Amino acid sequence: MRPLVVVDRLTYRHPGSEPSQRNALDGVSLQIEAGEYVALIGSNGSGKTTLARHLNALLVPAQGTVLIDGLDTRDRANYPRIRSTVGMVFQRPEDQMIATTVEEDVAFGPENLGLPPDEIRRRVEDALEQASITALRHRPPYQLSAGQMQRVALAGVLAMRPACIIFDEATAMLDPRGRETLLSLMRDLHQNGTTIIHITHFMEEAAEAGRVLVMHAGQIVMDGTPAQIFARARALSDLGLECPPAMAIADELRPWLPSLPAGVVSAEELLAAIPPAMTPYIPQQITAPPISPEKSNGFSAIEVNRLSHWYGRGTPFERQSLDQVTMKVAGKSAAGLAGATGSGKTTLLQHLNGLYLPQQGTVRVGAHDLNQADVDLRGVRRYSGLLFQIPENHFFEEFVGDEIAYGPRLAGLKEEVLRQRVRETMEALGLPFEAFKDRRTYALSGGERRKVALASVLAVHPEILLLDEPTAGLDPASRRDVLALLRRQLDLGKTLVISSHRMTDLAELAGSITILQSGRLELDGPVHQVFRQEDQLRQVGLRSPLPARVSRRLHEQGWPVSPEAVTTGQVVESLRAMHNQIPYE
Amino acid sequence: MNNFEYLNRVAIGQYIPGSAFIYRLDARTRILIYFVFIPLVAFLPSIRGVLACLLAVLLAITASRIPPGFALRSLLAPLPFLVFIALVQLFSVPAGDSSILFRLGPLTASIAGVEAGLLLALRFATLILLVALATFTLSTSELVYGLRSLLRPLSRLGFPSEDFIQIVQITLRFIPFLALSAERIAKAQAARGADWGTKRGSLLRRARDVVPLIIPLFVTTLRQAENLALAMDARAYATGETVTSLRQFQFRLADYIAMAAAFFFILGLIYII
Repeated sequence: MRPLVVVDRLTYRHPGSEPSQRNALDGVSLQIEAGEYVALIGSNGSGKTTLARHLNALLVPAQGTVLIDGLDTRDRANYPRIRSTVGMVFQRPEDQMIATTVEEDVAFGPENLGLPPDEIRRRVEDALEQASITALRHRPPYQLSAGQMQRVALAGVLAMRPACIIFDEATAMLDPRGRETLLSLMRDLHQNGTTIIHITHFMEEAAEAGRVLVMHAGQIVMDGTPAQIFARARALSDLGLECPPAMAIADELRPWLPSLPAGVVSAEELLAAIPPAMTPYIPQQITAPPISPEKSNGFSAIEVNRLSHWYGRGTPFERQSLDQVTMKVAGKSAAGLAGATGSGKTTLLQHLNGLYLPQQGTVRVGAHDLNQADVDLRGVRRYSGLLFQIPENHFFEEFVGDEIAYGPRLAGLKEEVLRQRVRETMEALGLPFEAFKDRRTYALSGGERRKVALASVLAVHPEILLLDEPTAGLDPASRRDVLALLRRQLDLGKTLVISSHRMTDLAELAGSITILQSGRLELDGPVHQVFRQEDQLRQVGLRSPLPARVSRRLHEQGWPVSPEAVTTGQVVESLRAMHNQIPYE
Repeated sequence: MNNFEYLNRVAIGQYIPGSAFIYRLDARTRILIYFVFIPLVAFLPSIRGVLACLLAVLLAITASRIPPGFALRSLLAPLPFLVFIALVQLFSVPAGDSSILFRLGPLTASIAGVEAGLLLALRFATLILLVALATFTLSTSELVYGLRSLLRPLSRLGFPSEDFIQIVQITLRFIPFLALSAERIAKAQAARGADWGTKRGSLLRRARDVVPLIIPLFVTTLRQAENLALAMDARAYATGETVTSLRQFQFRLADYIAMAAAFFFILGLIYII
């Protein structure tokens, strides 16, 4: 049988690229058999998306050939068949919504193929069913959550009955439950014979595939099973990638648990592989060192009391987004906010810098009482800086320097002082002033853009930093960079409030966590307590971070590890303490 | 009232789902009736005629079970404008042979002026309510598919009805997303110290504040449009010969009754003016 996808020495340059720039794709050759499950990984700008777009003729090769089911993508007459063979789900959910209701959106592909109305209806029915969005069929897409929109996009592809579906970072913008749902849909599709090509920055997602392709600088540099690829940790790290978290943790634990097998890629495998502690070697009197509780300095930087909020209040479209939420954030600490999309995290954050004023309940931010009619809103916003989700979507200026100067300029800084402020802020974030100030904001890489956005908030010298999904959509190396920068801000004495779908990020940074569910407070407390409530978290579609689950499992197996450890560092710390206490013969 | 809820201020696409009689009509019936009555109200030369239309619209709003307060609220924003044009009419229409009511310095108000002012104000109020009713009761998809079905015969005459419908559909689809984008950009600027939503500044000042919104909005929209085009291409847009349609329409008895009622109403109008 011939392979479904044959790519032969494919080379491609983006139109209008500078002569000095390398080719976006440089001599890529590749074959994918029908029914494979392939993960495609690589840092931002490595050429993954460009390659994927060649596979359904959105781009056509400059040199080399691409054959889909034997059809050459350069021949326009093949387009209807190629595009119904290879479907594509893109990263940004809302940019893919074509029609004004869900079912019409799903019908768009079959309509273009000119199928008879009965057949279209049947396919729409099946596709809605498969993506489990039948209940949403008459809703307008803009009212849906990102996860729901992504399932609409998938249904739109499924209605064309493709042999192969490409997911181009389709999970990047989703909350944990949305991701899990989409991933399990991928598994089902694969089991039913659909070829899956999954582009992702989540290594644990890549580990689910049968085959992993690694791209770098327009070339495929590795090709193998997940076990083969992830065994090469050093090489991956040089490419700005990393191992799946389970594997990274296993490597950290192995000095103390030598029986942990190599090549553990999934969380379940890791948890199952943790051996019971061997009591003869570990004296009973050794106990886990307590996790040092967050030092509380008594004053709270933010106080939210029984806050409620309604969108479209007083119209037929009224919708409550916050319901009696109470939260306190200690000064100079980091607080985490978690919950599914639509749980009210963003609305709450936007109350904390006065973008929204309390409709019911009270909000105090620093010395500012937002319930007071004469509250100085500009003062609040300067005191408490907000970094939006995917902030680079909202850049207003063409050049990096101007973008960062926007805030301080409005605050009244001028000329040399302003320049100095911009310079200081940029250099503190590792963006050399001279090299970056005249770069165009849209031409930066993903990680650089996020840093510029962070700089533009920090340039106003806020005391409090509000961060809405600060690491969403970043590749592993950029994500580590951004987390380190935030850690430094915390050490410098800023107060952080971080909303995130990534519990490991929250475990790394935050001292306390607030979990929202449909606008209501579901759970709050210090991280190590909240992340022990495995069942309650699961009910709201969240999972404890893997290190917390590992520490709990270690504890259950009799290791003197505090079940309160939530980061790999803390687990290793416990094990090291145990090791130091074992008396040498 | 929240200063950033642009979406709720966009009138078009504010469809209110319902199950009243009017919703059960074929989309094409509603489109035809609205499209006949809008120019009719715009050009009716008599107060009595416009008043009859206003009554009919109010009746239709009540019958569609839309909260009347909410429907009337759409008159609130343009109210100063309505009063203003009515006053301009009042004083600018030459008295002719109608009697003069009063003088205000160099301005004179006559019966003819009062009539002209009243007519204009009523006409605009009726139009606004009619358009509001149309947007409340006609979902964007009904509009798109209804128009598509109504215009399809024209493609035989060489009119590119499919492309036209696609343009309408995408425009309508973009409106709520555009409002959302504007909201995000304004918030991002406010968060960094711009004067959005701080309750300060005059109307002029606010108008000037919109300027920095325009370019980022433009850039975002272009990027979204580019991505949308990709998503459409990926789903085989404009690759084949024929395009078919998910929905098909069927006129029923109620539709003929509604159209007949509209027809006789217009006949009646001709009689009373």
